[in-house]
Amino acid sequence: MKKVVLKGKVNGKRVPSRVFEEQIQEAVRNGARELHIIADGQHGIGGRIWPRGETIRVIVEGPVGQRLGSMGMFGTEIIVKGSASDDVGWINCGAKITVLGDVTNGAHNAAAQGILYVQGGGGARCDTMTKHNPRFDPPQSWYFRDVGDTFAEFKAGGIAVVCGVNPRNPNNILGYRPCVGMVGGVIYFRGPIQGYSEDDVKLLDLTDQDWEWLKQNMKPYLEAIDRMEYYDELTVSKDAWKKLLPYTAEERAKRRPFKMSISEFRSRIWEEGVGKGGIFAEYITHPMTVLPYITTGADRRYKPVWNNNKYSPPCEHACPSGIPTPKRTQLIRAGKLHEALELILQYSPLPATVCGEICPNLCMEACTRSQLDRPLNIKELGKASLKVRAPRPAERTDKRVAVIGGGPGGLSAAWHLALKGHRVDLYEADKKLGGKVEFCIPKERLPRDILRYEIDRFMEIGVKIHLNVRVDRDRFQEIYDTHDAVVVACGAHKPRMLNIGGSEDMVTAYDFLKGINLGKRPDLKGKAVVVIGAGNVGMDVAAQAFHCGAKEVTAIDIQKPAAFGKELEIARSLGTRIIWPRFVNHYDKKENRLYFKDGSSIDADFVVVAIGDIPVTDFLPPSVHTDRDGWIEADEVGHTSDPKVYAIGDATRLGLVTHAIGHGRRAAEAIHAMLTGRSYYRPPTRPVIPYERIKTVYYDLCREETRDIEKEADRCMSCAVCRDCHMCEITCYYGAISRTEYEDGSFAYVVNEDECIGCGFCAGVCPCGIWEMVENV
Amino acid sequence: MEPATRLDHNHQLTLKDFPYIIRWRDDRCKRCGRCTAVCPMFSIEPSVILRRTIHSEGPTPQPKAVRQVVTVIKQSTDINRYCTGCGTCTLVCPNEAIEPEYNPQHKFLFHKNRGGYPYRRGGRRNDPRLSTLDRLKFTRISMLTDPALDAGRHEFRIRTYLGRILPAEELPLRFVNGRLEVDKTSGKFIPPVREIYPVMIGSMSIGALSPTMWEGLAMGVTYLNEVEGMPVVMCSGEGGMPQRLLKSRFIKYFIPQIASGYFGWDEIVRTIPHMVEDPCAIEIKYGQGAKPGDGGLLMAHKVLRLIAEIRGVPMGVDLPSPPTHQTKYSIEESVAKMIQSMSMAWGFRVPVYPKISGTRTARAVLNNLVRNPYAAALSIDGEDGGTGAAYNVSMDKMGHPIASNIRECYLDLVKQGKQNEIPLIAAGGVGKTGNLAANAAALFMLGASAVAIGKYIMQAAAGCFGDEYNRCNICNIGRCPRGIATQDPKLYRRLDPDKVAERVVEVFKAVDVELKKIFAPMGRSTELPIGMSDGISADDPAIAERLQISYAC
Repeated sequence: MKKVVLKGKVNGKRVPSRVFEEQIQEAVRNGARELHIIADGQHGIGGRIWPRGETIRVIVEGPVGQRLGSMGMFGTEIIVKGSASDDVGWINCGAKITVLGDVTNGAHNAAAQGILYVQGGGGARCDTMTKHNPRFDPPQSWYFRDVGDTFAEFKAGGIAVVCGVNPRNPNNILGYRPCVGMVGGVIYFRGPIQGYSEDDVKLLDLTDQDWEWLKQNMKPYLEAIDRMEYYDELTVSKDAWKKLLPYTAEERAKRRPFKMSISEFRSRIWEEGVGKGGIFAEYITHPMTVLPYITTGADRRYKPVWNNNKYSPPCEHACPSGIPTPKRTQLIRAGKLHEALELILQYSPLPATVCGEICPNLCMEACTRSQLDRPLNIKELGKASLKVRAPRPAERTDKRVAVIGGGPGGLSAAWHLALKGHRVDLYEADKKLGGKVEFCIPKERLPRDILRYEIDRFMEIGVKIHLNVRVDRDRFQEIYDTHDAVVVACGAHKPRMLNIGGSEDMVTAYDFLKGINLGKRPDLKGKAVVVIGAGNVGMDVAAQAFHCGAKEVTAIDIQKPAAFGKELEIARSLGTRIIWPRFVNHYDKKENRLYFKDGSSIDADFVVVAIGDIPVTDFLPPSVHTDRDGWIEADEVGHTSDPKVYAIGDATRLGLVTHAIGHGRRAAEAIHAMLTGRSYYRPPTRPVIPYERIKTVYYDLCREETRDIEKEADRCMSCAVCRDCHMCEITCYYGAISRTEYEDGSFAYVVNEDECIGCGFCAGVCPCGIWEMVENV
Repeated sequence: MEPATRLDHNHQLTLKDFPYIIRWRDDRCKRCGRCTAVCPMFSIEPSVILRRTIHSEGPTPQPKAVRQVVTVIKQSTDINRYCTGCGTCTLVCPNEAIEPEYNPQHKFLFHKNRGGYPYRRGGRRNDPRLSTLDRLKFTRISMLTDPALDAGRHEFRIRTYLGRILPAEELPLRFVNGRLEVDKTSGKFIPPVREIYPVMIGSMSIGALSPTMWEGLAMGVTYLNEVEGMPVVMCSGEGGMPQRLLKSRFIKYFIPQIASGYFGWDEIVRTIPHMVEDPCAIEIKYGQGAKPGDGGLLMAHKVLRLIAEIRGVPMGVDLPSPPTHQTKYSIEESVAKMIQSMSMAWGFRVPVYPKISGTRTARAVLNNLVRNPYAAALSIDGEDGGTGAAYNVSMDKMGHPIASNIRECYLDLVKQGKQNEIPLIAAGGVGKTGNLAANAAALFMLGASAVAIGKYIMQAAAGCFGDEYNRCNICNIGRCPRGIATQDPKLYRRLDPDKVAERVVEVFKAVDVELKKIFAPMGRSTELPIGMSDGISADDPAIAERLQISYAC
């Protein structure tokens, strides 16, 4: 075997690394198989030798330069007789490198194959970036003593062994922070360490397999570095050794970045420090469990409430008599037509007369249906109740109530009191019942047989009627003393007059209309008639004046005329001229002219004053307070200053007939309450349901007018009164709504709190505005 | 007759006037009601509509009208029930059938003053443009090697000091037997200093925040200290602190705040003898960057037992924090006497510093503090900060951006040679667009010793919906859909404090890595690069000139 000696220093002059490398390669090409090198710090000695299947031995003495054996190949065996410099075996591709001394920084950096045997210790960053190419055995690095800081960073393969014999730092043989970024290979070591990159590697005991490998490979290592005498000591016990193994990619992927789970932290550190339940526990009473966004039961933020009848339907709310039309239509839809028609008699004794004929039907004006097509024909419903028989009054009581006045208010009060079983005496000054309805409403507007029919029905319920009885002070006192309560329903019959010149030549509307209704028609043929006051009474006067032959009728007013409805319609259609504002100055009967304050005047052969009536209440004792004009001071249910006396209707203030009827009914309720020993009565107030709560889209436009009350009942939108349509029940996604029927035939829709999430769909789809969402407290 | 108001469309709004329009997909919706159950504003409601279609199916025209009433989700056009775009409906919808869409043509501000009440809200300045901080980048890559340091391998000391640091020559030190010792006989005051993590959680009160949110943050901060060894601290906000925390050893991670309402301070003061540790510091609030000049008001309905007891007030009363401290007549006097009092409370062992809103006059306050031996720092809160409740005008139009404000204050200190003595804390829009570490690092390099975050942590740790397009931003009305800014248990129990804590930990660990990723290539690992302004450049020459940094394009 050809041996060659190469000197790094010739004639006292250092051979440059480039030249020295050429000399080594040249020697090998020329057949040298053992190179004896006396180096002088040259770079990269022993690397990149392609021996073509043979073994090349390289023995190095003297100061070794950096990167000894770098890019060393299989077949190259390098022995350094002393210590070596940085980066020994850099990108080792198979060389076996033995260093009989120490290696400095970066030994075996990026080694991929081959073996590094070190007799001493390693510097910093040894075994970093080593690899394992699966086509070859992994690289091995053996250190006899210890290694420096940041050992095996980014190690991706290969085996490192640190024997820990006589270490420079007896407390830490792997240096500071080894294994950062290590992903492959293994480190066997023997001796104390002070930490490693816990994020990257785990510390384990050796397996039997590891131990076998170590014992087996320990021998050639120790032989190579001439330390066989340590074999027994190094292999005496498996337990003296540990290994550092990197986490696999799968293990790393699974690892949470938490050293301690939050729940463990909460119980072990947080609550240990601040107390059980956390820092706010002492102020909080509810459970601290987490709630989902969608909650049920008590955890809902809002909940639906089935508020059937909580609100007043607009028609009922607008009706001064308080007639609940949706209840009637509900009965009709349920096939209970007769009960529907009877129901109204619980509210008014004169449904056909008032609702059906003379009432301006405020209910229809308010009807929600008019937002879609036209209001429900409630007038027709009133007419339909004409032939209904009087209801049977409740069992007779021993209470006696007097009603003074047989007009609509008095009739209403007497009717409702009688229905409740009380003994009622009705006093009427005239010879007929009906008051202004009888005497002041033109016959064209109210066929008298309808009124008569209803008065007859009124008589059926056992009210004791005293006609032609004018109540004066003495009579009142007698009535007062002999009854438990007195209802004053005397109306307003004293026409207000103008205090101007010529007023003595004018006629009052009251006298004019009453005279006609009693058969005394004035002859107005060809005459110019002026009506002062263009309210509804004025319109009735105007219409009657035409019927009496008037050539022209002018209604004047000081403000925008208050007339409306049918009265206005009729008067207008007959040709009534309405002018305003006009302030009357005086009437000159001789000239037949009516003068205004601005100096103008019009023809006036006949002047009717229709500026309202005032009551005559001088028969009342001082205990019943009245105002200067005689109006009785009474509240909405008729209470006056005298607890035994109730006052209703026009005697308290002017209103429509329906107002008087409503007032009479409420007074009857109040009196009933008093007589049966209940507390002070207030009528239940229900807010009207807002129109937008009614879902009008459910209803189709109905173009043809109908008088069929069954069809009308279908048209009713049943505002605030449950239609029992099941819309809510079907809509609820969670099946939380069900219908319950009670023994008395009534029903309710109920919510299963455990299913309901408070979404508001029931409220959103309810045609009648029954369901309401309220805060769930 | 139809009442006239019904026909008056003139004062009705259309959906086009609203900032968010609900895109509801009829074909995907199963009408389960989850969206309407959670909508905090009742902007959406179930309703019914009529559809009428005409069909002709025969070979000749044979029209047939089909009438169908269907259930829909309807958006309200009531300005008080405007859709805030929070998207809780989208969150709970199982079918992806509903989503609010931003409407850039909205006319919200023209109408949101009904009753003569100006628009009030919570959240942030509604300005989605990039802030100055987001226009800065780190351009000085160190060529010691490329890069200089390895963020993963090297150890970084990302810490800062809270407290006044005396120059070495002013320290009362003496040599005793060859060792340095503090000369206690000198009578000289050595200010307390804390070593903390330079990103802190800024002041958000118990009251503005729900108990679940506040405790989650507090737990996260404590975890970072106790488990991760990261000294992150958190300011209490005004509104007191729970006794349990005051008396625990964790109080050292917290900075109790005192503000103009002084709420909860009698409770705190009485607890001082029972405290086992000193708090990290005390913050005196003078202003809030989000709403300079606007005070605070915790509305009566939020003042339930928890708030009442912690703040030491009766339940169900409005709690106003006025814009000013009532017994102080100038900022100089106010700062001097407040710092003195608060230092005294803990025997001068705790750093005390004021927080002001960003302003062109910040330097005046700073110079005052420089001459005050007890002033521990100055915290400046820029206009991009957040708030629980304020007038819109205060939020949108009042305040000063933090970047140039902190820069001029720092340069002022440099001129006086005091830059290493009194730390500046920067806040207000740090992490506005999510770039927390980059914004923080930029502020350090402009001269801040620390930054405080509020909105960022709410968004990152609890999923706050709010953004600069006025999304959600209803922190003021107690209906926070995330359970962050509400005292309603039904809402705040949606929020799991453990999850908040976990996110806080994740956020800070990630920020720590990102800061290293910024500092490593710049070659800084041992100290925070405070004032290292040669490391950053602006992409705009005007910004570069104003901040006295380089311009890079």
